[in-house]
Amino acid sequence: MRATPYKLPLRRWTQSLVALCCVLVLPLAFALEAGQPAPDFTLAGADGKPLQLAGLRGKLVYLDFWASWCAPCRLSFPWMNAMQEKYGPGGLVVLGVNVDQRRPDADRFLAQVPAKFTIAYDPQGTAPKLYAIKGMPSSVLIDPQGRVLLVHAGFRDEERDELEARIRAALPLRAN
Amino acid sequence: MPTSNDKRDKTGEGRNAAASLLSAALALPGLAAGLAATTAIPAHAESAPEQGSVDLKYLYYRDYQPGAERMRVSAPSFHVLMPLEGNYALEGSFVLDSISGASPLYHNTLSGASGLGVNDLRKAGDLKLTRYFERAAVGVGFAYSTEHDYVSRAFNLDVRIASENNNTTLAFGVGHASDDIDSVNFVARGRSKRTTDMLAGITQVLTAQDIVQSNLTYSVGRGYYDDPYKAIDVRPDYRDQLAWLTRWNHYVSSLDATLRLSARYYRDTFGIRAITLGTEWVQQVGSWTVTPSLRYTTQSAADFYYGPPFPVGFVPGQSYSADQRLSAFGALTPGIKLGKLFADGWRVDFKAEYYEQRSNWHSLIGGGNSGTDLLPLKAQFYQVGLGKNF
Amino acid sequence: MCQSAMQRLLLTAAVLLLSGCAMQPVQPWEKGDLAKPAMSFSVDTLDDHFTQHIYNSKENASGGYGVGGGGCGCN
Repeated sequence: MRATPYKLPLRRWTQSLVALCCVLVLPLAFALEAGQPAPDFTLAGADGKPLQLAGLRGKLVYLDFWASWCAPCRLSFPWMNAMQEKYGPGGLVVLGVNVDQRRPDADRFLAQVPAKFTIAYDPQGTAPKLYAIKGMPSSVLIDPQGRVLLVHAGFRDEERDELEARIRAALPLRAN
Repeated sequence: MPTSNDKRDKTGEGRNAAASLLSAALALPGLAAGLAATTAIPAHAESAPEQGSVDLKYLYYRDYQPGAERMRVSAPSFHVLMPLEGNYALEGSFVLDSISGASPLYHNTLSGASGLGVNDLRKAGDLKLTRYFERAAVGVGFAYSTEHDYVSRAFNLDVRIASENNNTTLAFGVGHASDDIDSVNFVARGRSKRTTDMLAGITQVLTAQDIVQSNLTYSVGRGYYDDPYKAIDVRPDYRDQLAWLTRWNHYVSSLDATLRLSARYYRDTFGIRAITLGTEWVQQVGSWTVTPSLRYTTQSAADFYYGPPFPVGFVPGQSYSADQRLSAFGALTPGIKLGKLFADGWRVDFKAEYYEQRSNWHSLIGGGNSGTDLLPLKAQFYQVGLGKNF
Repeated sequence: MCQSAMQRLLLTAAVLLLSGCAMQPVQPWEKGDLAKPAMSFSVDTLDDHFTQHIYNSKENASGGYGVGGGGCGCN
């Protein structure tokens, strides 16, 4: 190591380091906007068969990211069951993407809190990364043309009605 | 609430509030139950607890020295945490300490031997209200404690702010305590002590299995610090204390266990320095949790501590104390805790610890004791707890 | 020379810490292990209160955990 002062190179080095960090962090900071096409993904379904999001075109999709360790997720399941039952005939598909890294954790959760909607498994976290979600749970409402209508994070009792209204307003089939 | 819902939608006008949703989001569920002690800064500030909890605990403590029983404390305690409407949480605890036995008059000479036993009942309670915001929380707390010769009132305010990705949380706190002393032996009548505490801390998620917290606290105290029940005890009328505590929790997936490490550096204006190291291994075994732990602490002696023989070193008008707690020592606490969680939210736990404090276990350079070593102090602590989440 | 190397090391550490990207940041869906109760810094409030109270009455050092807890005549 030389004894000469490192002032300038050091500053340059620091700057490039900061820039590198920004480059690494920024793509993750871009959140999905309403109106954008919903990124497509293919995951394993409950029966082990592949399940592709694009295959649900024509349906209104309520995409929910959940994990066994997430407490509000536990509250959201009965509500999602009710939504699926109520608006399924109107063209709603509730798709719950589990992000647990260990499948038994998800299975244990489902044994306690049964899901009456479609479940897919994403232990690698590819889908939540595509949607740049910032918390658990997160949900995305996707219209029949595959565009994002709404991005929502968290699940609170007082938000149920608002979410239901958004679903009802976007149903492709107005049976009721 | 329409306004908060608008905020939570990421469409059109609600756009810049997009990140807002995330308050509930990081929802780290287990944390709700064990949220903040009144005085502690929790790891994750940004989400209100989803669950309430009630805990009852019975605590028992006894200490002794070779050939002599000293103090016994039995303390039933109670803690409740309630999530409230509108992102608030209310937390409170109450403890009833009943103390009996004998406290040293100087060094190891027990006051009980001279007919002055210790018998006291301490009632202490605290309340804390926390308001949760998007990635932030503000808490205000009040604590009250009373004994027949001592009353303490304290309040505190703390603020916690999390980064957008919720991986970094900064904490700031300020607290003030006002204590009044009226000793039964009339040595200290109408004396008081005022203490102001400040805290700055950071909690950082390092990896998906590592989280670290580092807190710096500084306390400024003015007032009466003497022990009125000791034969001769004259201390400065001020004490400033600095503590730097760092804790690291690491989850070991392959064993379903958590390693918890802590280290604290301390120094004060009495001239005491101390280092405290703690480690716990939290092993999950089905619905049981087995936690062996080990703590080591060492402190240097206060500038005005004088070891045996009593009262060598005493000069009228100068600070002087023969209090064991101001001497240089090292202490070890091995312990074990067993806990069980039931499916319906009930919890039970049991903890046993053994404590031994010895003059010759002190390991800081400099600051050793004058005079000869004190007798070792030994103690046992037990806890039995029952709780429920709902 | 030695000082310069030391300065460089310290500065690098500070930059890494401050930029919050010493490593790939942990994503929200990767926080299952961090959500475990044992990973919290306050697992058992009553246990913490009791233990700190006991040590406060038998040792001189205290602090680091929080602010404004009630005092007692035990120290």
